[in-house]
Amino acid sequence: MNGTAPNSPDAARLITPTMLVVWLGLATIPLWISQIGLYPYLGIEILIWSIYALSFNLVLGTAGLPSFGHGVFFGVGAYAFGLAQFNVSSSLWICLTLAMLAAALAGVFVALFISHRRGIYYAFMTIAFGQIFWTIAIKWHSVTGGEDGLLKIERLPADLGFVSFDLKNNASFYYFVLAVFIVIVIALWRLTHSPYGRILSAIRQSETRAAHLGYRVWLYKASVFTISAGMSGLAGGLFAMAQLAAFPDVMSLHQSGYIVMMTLVGGGLVSFWGPIVGVVTFLVARDVIGAMTSAWMLWFGLLFIAIVLFKPEGIAGAFRSVVDGGKARAKRAEGVSALRLLFRS
Amino acid sequence: MIDILPHILNGLTLGLLFALIALGFMLIVGLMEQINLAHGSLFALGAYVGMQMLGPRPPMPADWAAAWLALPLGWRYALTLVIAPCVVGVVGALVEFCMRRTYGKDPLYGLLLTFGAAMVIEEAIRLTWGTRDYVLQVPQAISGGFIFQDLIWSTYRFYAAGIAAVIIGLVWLVIEKTPYGAIIKAGAHDSEIVRALGINLSRLRLAVFIFGTMLAAVAGIIVAPIWGIRPHMGVDAVVPAFLVIVLGGVGSFWGAVSAGILVGLAVGLTGAYASEWSLLSMYILLVAIVTFRARGLFGKKSVLEA
Repeated sequence: MNGTAPNSPDAARLITPTMLVVWLGLATIPLWISQIGLYPYLGIEILIWSIYALSFNLVLGTAGLPSFGHGVFFGVGAYAFGLAQFNVSSSLWICLTLAMLAAALAGVFVALFISHRRGIYYAFMTIAFGQIFWTIAIKWHSVTGGEDGLLKIERLPADLGFVSFDLKNNASFYYFVLAVFIVIVIALWRLTHSPYGRILSAIRQSETRAAHLGYRVWLYKASVFTISAGMSGLAGGLFAMAQLAAFPDVMSLHQSGYIVMMTLVGGGLVSFWGPIVGVVTFLVARDVIGAMTSAWMLWFGLLFIAIVLFKPEGIAGAFRSVVDGGKARAKRAEGVSALRLLFRS
Repeated sequence: MIDILPHILNGLTLGLLFALIALGFMLIVGLMEQINLAHGSLFALGAYVGMQMLGPRPPMPADWAAAWLALPLGWRYALTLVIAPCVVGVVGALVEFCMRRTYGKDPLYGLLLTFGAAMVIEEAIRLTWGTRDYVLQVPQAISGGFIFQDLIWSTYRFYAAGIAAVIIGLVWLVIEKTPYGAIIKAGAHDSEIVRALGINLSRLRLAVFIFGTMLAAVAGIIVAPIWGIRPHMGVDAVVPAFLVIVLGGVGSFWGAVSAGILVGLAVGLTGAYASEWSLLSMYILLVAIVTFRARGLFGKKSVLEA
C-alpha cells in the first residue's frame, strides 16, 4: 500500500502532521548543512530530486508502472526552461509552466504508445523512448547544444507582483525550491488519496481486475504518466536553474536508472515519503562515499544489492515494520490478556 | 543495387552478433523469467578476461605462464574461448546465489538486483583495468582482410558471424534435442511438477544461469575485436540484448534470432546512409513493431507482463 490507509485521518487531510515535520526539518537545512561538512548546494539538489522522485513514484509506486526512461521528462523540462528563457519570456512563472507543459507533452506522446502494453514490454518501450529522446538531445546541436549542453541559463527572479525575490544566491533559491516542493507534496498527497489515486492503486494490484470493473485502464495509465511527466519536467526546470545549464546526461539510461534506485531504496513502493528518504540516502552517500573513494558506485551497488536482498521494501518499509512490529507486539500482548479475562470469567 | 549489397552483408553479420549477445539473456529470461541486467557487464568481463589471457601477462603462476605463452596463438585463442567463460561463469554463479531470494516475488526485484550487480561488476572492471581501451589479440588466420569484387572485406567479421551462427545452432540443439533441454523447458513451464518429478530445481536454475553467463562471456570475446574493449561496452551490449528479446518476444528462440538479425540489418543499413543516427534505428524499429504487436514478433504469454 502506497500512502496511508484510507481509514487513517491523514488520508483526508490537506496538510498532515508528517508533512509539517518534514517541511520544518527541510527548512532548517541551510542553517546547519555547512556545519556537518556538506554544502548548501546539496540541499537544493536534494529538494529538486525529491520533487522528481515523488512524481516518478506516482507512476512506479502508486500505479505500479515500470517506467525506466523517466529521465527524458526531467531533461525535456530542463531544456524547455532554458529555451523558453532565451526565446519566449523572462518571467520565471511562464518559463516554469512551459517546462512543465513541454514535459507533459512529451509524456502524452510516449504514453499513447505504451499505455496498452504491460510488464516487460511496457518497461522496454519506456527505455526505447528514453534512448530516442536522449540521442536527439545529443545530436540536435542547434537546439540543445549537443553534448556541451545548453549553457548560460539564468536564475530568473521570482516576481509575485508586489514583491520580487532574487534567486541568485543559493539560500534564497533553496527556499524557493522548498516552496515548490511544498506545493507538489500537497498536490501529490491529495492525488494519491483521491478516488483517482485509488483506481491507480487498483490497477497496480491487478490490471485485469480493474478493467473488468469497467475502468478504462489505458486512460488511467496514460493520464498518470502524463501528470508524472509534467511534474518531472517542473523538477527539470528547477534543475536547469540550479545548474545554470541543461545537459543531455540526465536523460541517459544510467540517470533514469538512478531515479528508480532512489525511489526503491527509500521504499517508494510502501510509503509516500519513501522516495525522499531514497534521494537523501543516494545523494549523501554519493558525496560521503565519493569523498572517501573514487569507486563509490561499487559500494553503492553493494549497498543496493543488500537492500534488495534483505529489505526489498526499502528504508521506509524497514522503518514501518519496526513501528508496526512494536504495535503488533502490543496488540498481541493485549490479545493475550483479553483471552485471560475470558477464561477467568 | 550492387552497392547496397555490402551493407546488407554487414547488417547480417552484425545481426548474428546481436543474436549471439542476446542468446544468454534469452535463456535466462525464457527459462527462469528473470531479467538479468548484469548480462552486459558479464559480457564485458568475458572480453576483459579473454584479453588478459591472450595478452603478454596472463593471470597465472609464472611457470604456467611460460608454458602458456609457448603455445601458438591459435591454440591459446581456442583455449581462452573455453577458459574465460568458465571464470565468468563463477561470477554468474555468485549473482545467481544472491538472486535466489527474489524468486517467486515481483520480477522487478530480480531486475533491480542484477542492476546493482551490473554496477558493481562495471566498477570492479574500472578498478582493475582502468578506463583505457584495450585490443584483443586474434590469431593471424582470422584477422586481416581480403579483396573481393574490388571491396576490402574483414576476415574477422565473417569468422565472427560464422561462429555466432554455430553457437546459436548448438544452443538450439541443446534446448530442443537433449533431455537436459526438455527439463529446462519444463522447469520454465511448470516448476512445481518438475520438482514433484524429483528434479532439483534450484540446481537446475543455477545451471541455466551459469550457462547464460558463459554465453555472455563467449559473446564478449567474439565481439571484442570489432567493438573494442572498454568499461562501457557492458551497457552497449545489454541494451541491444534486452531490445532483441523484447522485439522477438519473450520465450521465443527463433523470435530472438530473427529480431537480432532485423536489428543488425536496421543498424547496418542506417549506418551506411545516416551513420549519426544508426543507433537510434533499433529503438524506432522496436517502437514500430511493439506498437502493433503487443508481444513482439513471436512472443508467448509470460509472467513478465503481469
